Amino acid sequence: MIVRRFFITVFAATLLVGACGGDPPPPPPPPQADQDSLQRYNDSVAAAEAERRAEAERLAAERAAEAERQRAVRAARAALEEMVFFDYDMSDIRDDAEATLRAKVDILRASPQVQVRIEGHADERGSTEYNMALGNRRAEAIRQFLVGFGLGENRFEIVSFGEGRPLQQGSTESDWARNRRGQFVITAGADAINPAN
Amino acid sequence: MRIRIIGTWSWWTVLVGALTTSTSTEPLAAQDELPGVSLGLVYANTYLPALAVQPFVGAFGGDVIASQVEAIVGRDLRNSDQFEVIDSLPAAMVGSHVDYPLWDRLGAVWLVAGEVEASGDGYMLTVELHDVVYGEVRDRGRFKLPSQDDDDFRMSVHRTSDEIVRWATGAPGMAASRIAFTMVGNDGNKEVYVIDSDGEDLRQVTDYNSLTESPTWSPDGSRLAIASYKTGVPRIYEVDRFGNELSALPAVRGPGDYVTPTYHPDGKTLAFSVFGSNSQSGIFTYDLAQNCCLSFLSGGPWYDVSPTYSPDGRWLAFNTLRFGDAVPQVMMMPAEGGSAETLSPYEYGGGGFYAAPDWSPNGDLVAFHGRIDRRGRYHILVINLDDGGRVLRQLTSEGNNEAPSWAPDGRHLVFAGERSWGFGLMVVDVTTGRLRSLLGGRRVDLPDWSPVIPPA
Repeated sequence: MIVRRFFITVFAATLLVGACGGDPPPPPPPPQADQDSLQRYNDSVAAAEAERRAEAERLAAERAAEAERQRAVRAARAALEEMVFFDYDMSDIRDDAEATLRAKVDILRASPQVQVRIEGHADERGSTEYNMALGNRRAEAIRQFLVGFGLGENRFEIVSFGEGRPLQQGSTESDWARNRRGQFVITAGADAINPAN
Repeated sequence: MRIRIIGTWSWWTVLVGALTTSTSTEPLAAQDELPGVSLGLVYANTYLPALAVQPFVGAFGGDVIASQVEAIVGRDLRNSDQFEVIDSLPAAMVGSHVDYPLWDRLGAVWLVAGEVEASGDGYMLTVELHDVVYGEVRDRGRFKLPSQDDDDFRMSVHRTSDEIVRWATGAPGMAASRIAFTMVGNDGNKEVYVIDSDGEDLRQVTDYNSLTESPTWSPDGSRLAIASYKTGVPRIYEVDRFGNELSALPAVRGPGDYVTPTYHPDGKTLAFSVFGSNSQSGIFTYDLAQNCCLSFLSGGPWYDVSPTYSPDGRWLAFNTLRFGDAVPQVMMMPAEGGSAETLSPYEYGGGGFYAAPDWSPNGDLVAFHGRIDRRGRYHILVINLDDGGRVLRQLTSEGNNEAPSWAPDGRHLVFAGERSWGFGLMVVDVTTGRLRSLLGGRRVDLPDWSPVIPPA
C-alpha cells in the first residue's frame, strides 16, 4: 500500500513537472521491486489516466462548443430584436437600417420556425392618427425588405403603435430620433433560433 | 349643402395671423410661406350684444340651487361667444324685479331672468329673455331640472342655456354637449375621458390599461366608437360613456390595424381605416347595426386615414399619405367612394403637412391642422367649401395645435394644444377668434365634440 502510494506520487509529480515545463527535479532512485509487474501496473495507470483526460477534454470541448453555440444564439436573438430607426416623417429603410435588417435575413433563413411581429413607431410630432398610418408604413417597409430576400410573408405580422409607445420620453431631437423606429418581437420559434450559417 | 369643384391652389388665398389681432380688420403682414399664395388673417370685427343676467330667484324650496343654476347659465352664455355677458351683479344693486331703465343704463341689450322652484324630486326653472331696448319679454320657457345629485342635472341646465341662445340669435347652442378625448396616464397608457362643454364633470370612460385612440361620438350622443389595443393590436369597439362595451367590430378585412372610426350620420354605418397585413390599406365602411356589408372606399398601396362625413352623409373628407409619407393631405370623395379631390393646399412636388380633418355640422366648413410656418409649428386651419374652398383661415398662432373637432353649434372648435406650460384642450370660436382653455395641464389628445345631448 505504501509502495503503491509512493509510485502514484512519483507519477503525479512527474506529470506535474512535465505540465509545468520547468527543470525536472532529479528522479528518486527507483525502488527495487519486481520490474515486470511494476511496468504493467504503471502502464495500466497511465492508460486509465489518459482515458480520463481524453474524456475530460472531450467534455470540456463539448461544453465550450455548447457555450459558444448559446452565445451565438443569444447574439442571433439580439440581432433579430435589434431596432431600426427612421428619418422624420419617412418610412424609407435607411442605409444603417439595411445592414441591421440583412443580419436578420440570414438568421431567419437559418431559423425557419421563427416568426416575428414588426412594430412600427413614430415620434410625437404631426398628427396622432397620421402617425398610426406612418407607423404601419414603417413596419410594412421593413416587412417588404425582409420578404424581398425570399422570406415567407406569413412569418411576419405587423402592427403600428403610432406615437403611443415612445422609447424615450421627452421632446428633443434625440428623443424623437429614438422614437421613430421599428421594433421586433419574436412570436414563435424562440427556442429554435439558429445563428446565420 | 353646396360643394363646388375646388380650383388649383394658385387661386387660393390663405389668410393667416394672430388671434391677438382678432378685433382688427387689418391683415397681418404677409409671411409668404406657401408658394403662390398670399397670407394674412382677418377676423370680422364682430359686434357682440351685451347680455345681462339678473340674479336668479329661488322660491318654494328652489333657493338652494338658484345661484348655482344662474352661475352655470351665465358661464354657458359667455362660452357661446354670442354676447358680452354682464353677470354676477349683487342682488342689492339690481333688485329682484326687472328694471329696464337700469339695464339700459348698464348697456345691456338682452336680459335673462330666472326663477327656480322645487317640483317633485327636482325643480322647475322658469326663464325669461327680455329685450331691454324695446322693454319687453322676447321669450319665456319652463325647464324641468332633476335634483342636484342626478347625473343629468348640469346637462339640464345647459339645455336651458342653449334655448336662451336660440331665443336671442336663432342659432343653435352647444352648452348641452360633451367632449371625449384621450389622456395619457402615469403608466404611459392612454384612456378615453369625457368632459362637459364648460370644463366640468371630467370622467374616465375606458379602463383597458392599454392604448385607446380616436374616440368618436355616435350621432345621437349615446355611445362612442374607439380604437383600443387591449388585445395587442388595434381594433374598433363601441362603448357607452361609462365604458361599458356595446359591440366590437369584427376583423372583417383580416389581420391589420383597425383605426380612426367615424359614424355615418345615419348612426348605423362606421367608416374606418385598416392598415395592412396581407390586404390593401384604406378606408372601409361596415354596417354595425346589421353586422354586414363591408365596402372598400379608397386606398390601395397608399394609406388613407381619419375619415369624417359631411352632415348630409354624402361626402367623406379624409387624410391621405398618397402624395408621400411626409406630405399628408386632406381630400374629399363621395361617401360611396370614387374620385377624390384635394382640399388642402398641395402642389405636386411641393411640401405641406395637413391632417386630422373634421367636417362642420353646418356642412360648409372643414377644419384640420397643418404645418405652415418655417418653425414647423402645427396650427388649426379652416376652409369654407361654399366659397370654393379657396380661403384657408388660420385660427391659432401659438404653440402646437392639433386634431380640431366641431361643436354642434358649427362655430366652435375644440383641439389639443401644446404650450410652453404644457398640454391642454382648448376651444376657439371661429367667428370671433376667442380662445378658452377647457382642460389644462394634462397630456390630452384627439378630442371629439358630441352632438347636443338629448334629455336622458
